[in-house]
Amino acid sequence: MNDDKRKKKEKKKADIARGLTIFVFLLPGLLLFVGILIAPIAVSIDRSLYDWNGFSPGTFIGFNNYVELFTNGSIKFMTSLKNALILAFFSVFVQLPLALLLALLLGRAETRLNRAYLSIFFMPVLISTVVIGQLWLKIYNPDYGVLNRFLDAVNLGQLKHIWVADPKTALGSILVPTIWQYVGYHMLLMYAGVKGVDIDLREAAMLDGATKWQVDRYVVIPIIKPIIRVSVIFAVTGSLKTYDLVRIITEGGPFQMTEVPSTILENMLFLRNRYGMGSTISVMLILLCFAFALLITAAFREKDE
Amino acid sequence: MKIKRLASIVMAGVMTLSLAACGQQTAPADTATPATDAATEAPAAEQPAASDATVAETSSDEPISLNMWCIATESDSNRHAYEAAIADMQAAHPEVTFTWEAFENQSYKTKIKAAVSANEMPDIFFTWSCAFLGDFVAADKVYCLDDAYQNYKDELPESMLGNTTYDGKHYGVPTTMNIVGLFANMDLLAEAGYTEIPGTYDEFIECCDALKAKGIIPFGCAGKETWCVTEYLESVIEKSVGADALNDIFLGRATWDNQGVADAVDTFQSLVTNGYFDPSGAGLTNDEVKNNFMAGKYAFYMNGTWNCADFAANEEFFPKVKVGEFPVINADQASLGQLIGGPSDTLAVAASSPNAERAADYAFELGKLICHYGYLDGCGLPAWTPYGDTSSVNELTQTVSEIVSKADKFVLFGDTAMSADSANTYLSYVDQVYGCQLDGKQFIEGLAKDIQ
Repeated sequence: MNDDKRKKKEKKKADIARGLTIFVFLLPGLLLFVGILIAPIAVSIDRSLYDWNGFSPGTFIGFNNYVELFTNGSIKFMTSLKNALILAFFSVFVQLPLALLLALLLGRAETRLNRAYLSIFFMPVLISTVVIGQLWLKIYNPDYGVLNRFLDAVNLGQLKHIWVADPKTALGSILVPTIWQYVGYHMLLMYAGVKGVDIDLREAAMLDGATKWQVDRYVVIPIIKPIIRVSVIFAVTGSLKTYDLVRIITEGGPFQMTEVPSTILENMLFLRNRYGMGSTISVMLILLCFAFALLITAAFREKDE
Repeated sequence: MKIKRLASIVMAGVMTLSLAACGQQTAPADTATPATDAATEAPAAEQPAASDATVAETSSDEPISLNMWCIATESDSNRHAYEAAIADMQAAHPEVTFTWEAFENQSYKTKIKAAVSANEMPDIFFTWSCAFLGDFVAADKVYCLDDAYQNYKDELPESMLGNTTYDGKHYGVPTTMNIVGLFANMDLLAEAGYTEIPGTYDEFIECCDALKAKGIIPFGCAGKETWCVTEYLESVIEKSVGADALNDIFLGRATWDNQGVADAVDTFQSLVTNGYFDPSGAGLTNDEVKNNFMAGKYAFYMNGTWNCADFAANEEFFPKVKVGEFPVINADQASLGQLIGGPSDTLAVAASSPNAERAADYAFELGKLICHYGYLDGCGLPAWTPYGDTSSVNELTQTVSEIVSKADKFVLFGDTAMSADSANTYLSYVDQVYGCQLDGKQFIEGLAKDIQ
């Protein structure tokens, strides 16, 4: 009886010691995590409740910033959200299928050209976004841009546009380079997954009479679904946070019609000195990114079940 | 096993402590740094005292380093004036190691505000007067120039310091002053049958129609930089409701809810909807639009008179261009001689500068030279009393000088006169008016609601 008690006591001690060891080992990482991620979010939430210009002490105003975000006619937050969601939609339903198609095609067989194709498709990811933005600006230029000249050359002059200045085409002029730039990134993620699929599974399916397309559809894609889920999360949250290409190509214009949350955030922080409102937009962005990540994870889980 | 575990725990503990120690080392290190660095890190309220203490330790001949930020980029009209002035200063003050950086106008506004927030300002910085500088002054980030000004008050009239004076104290060194000018390509106007810039609004509209009929775009305006749109809109509003009404609105003495302003905005919008503006301008920067104007794409270009320098430097274009005043729209309330502009380009000294007192003297001398060379180049009219031979000033700038000499009222550029938040709210509404998303009534109602 005493032995049992002693053993239990020792086991409990050992468990506590193990728990303590784990805790101590995790402590540096935990501190970094809290310091780098949790603390700034907490500070942002706190600051979003203040009217603060960044220089002087702020004034506590409760949720007024949140209300103003949706009611002030000069802060185009709803327009920016709509634009970010359009970008997310096209990223998920155009960019990712394209990336998946490329990954599946390149993953079918190991040829000499595979590496070359991989490098070519991945190259836009390596180029600075500023360079890409400037490159596309030149392409879109109404006077000397390649796009309008091409349309002229193929007798489609009536389709010529002032691409980045026309409210009807401005958002599209951001969408195209965004999709073009990150197709390679998602393709590489998916390609790694495709190459990880056991060759035996492919051969077994082929022996059973499956075509290449059926192998991809019923064997490869289900196996790489976790990677596709990650890609979808990256594409959606990346679209919500998008900034650089918008800043370079349209600067939120024409007439603020291509604003995205990050350009409004920049405007609030650095042009209007409204750090409280900037924090409010940051909090909204964080909430949206979390919400979409959870939604996407739930959607994939539901499909699996 | 126990020893291993113990060792692991000790190692992990050491790692954690080292992280904490890294954090702690920063504070003592700050106190150990020289007084100059300590002054930079000091809270805003303590800065003047800290910088004064530093200055007291350095004599005026002791070598120091000063740095400056400005917007005189390679493509800026003022570039030559800055280069020439800095060369003169470096020759006259070899004991000062002077470095400077120039940034593009729009991005500079972001950069300087971020630097002010982070307390990482250069010793001397370019700024716009009124509310733009006022925000920094209110936050105690700018060095007061009252003492330094005593040495220069004979050359710099106090009237030129009005836009940089807060609570009776001077915080800025003005360089040049500028107004919005109506630049016209006379070759294009001649094609439409005009030999002079039309003097009345009705003639002006007839001229625009005649230009349009000839396939010439009347106006070029950079929609990518909303301040360029305000150069047109503010002129239309001023010549409709008068300078006093617009000034009162900009300075917060009157509400935006003014039917005259709404009507003026509708008048401006009719210029847009009548197709007088280049539609591609909405996606262009000011530099691109200016180049298009010089290339003969537009008949008129409303912008700051600092452009005279660039126009004068272009031998092919210069003989074609004339500058005038925007015509009066409502003679009951406005008149010729009411202009948009005033002294705005300013140099200021950071309160956090370890050499603030000497930086103040340096800023005054540099400002005087920039003004001198800028005036000779045609970048604007002098805020300082001109000296030396000024006979080489180009004809355009001389015309501007004549316009200004006849002027009786000035309204400072709206985005400079208002605080940062109000100015950007205003710019947002201007953008929406230019895009015909709002009419005059919605414009005034929105601004009356959103500008507190």
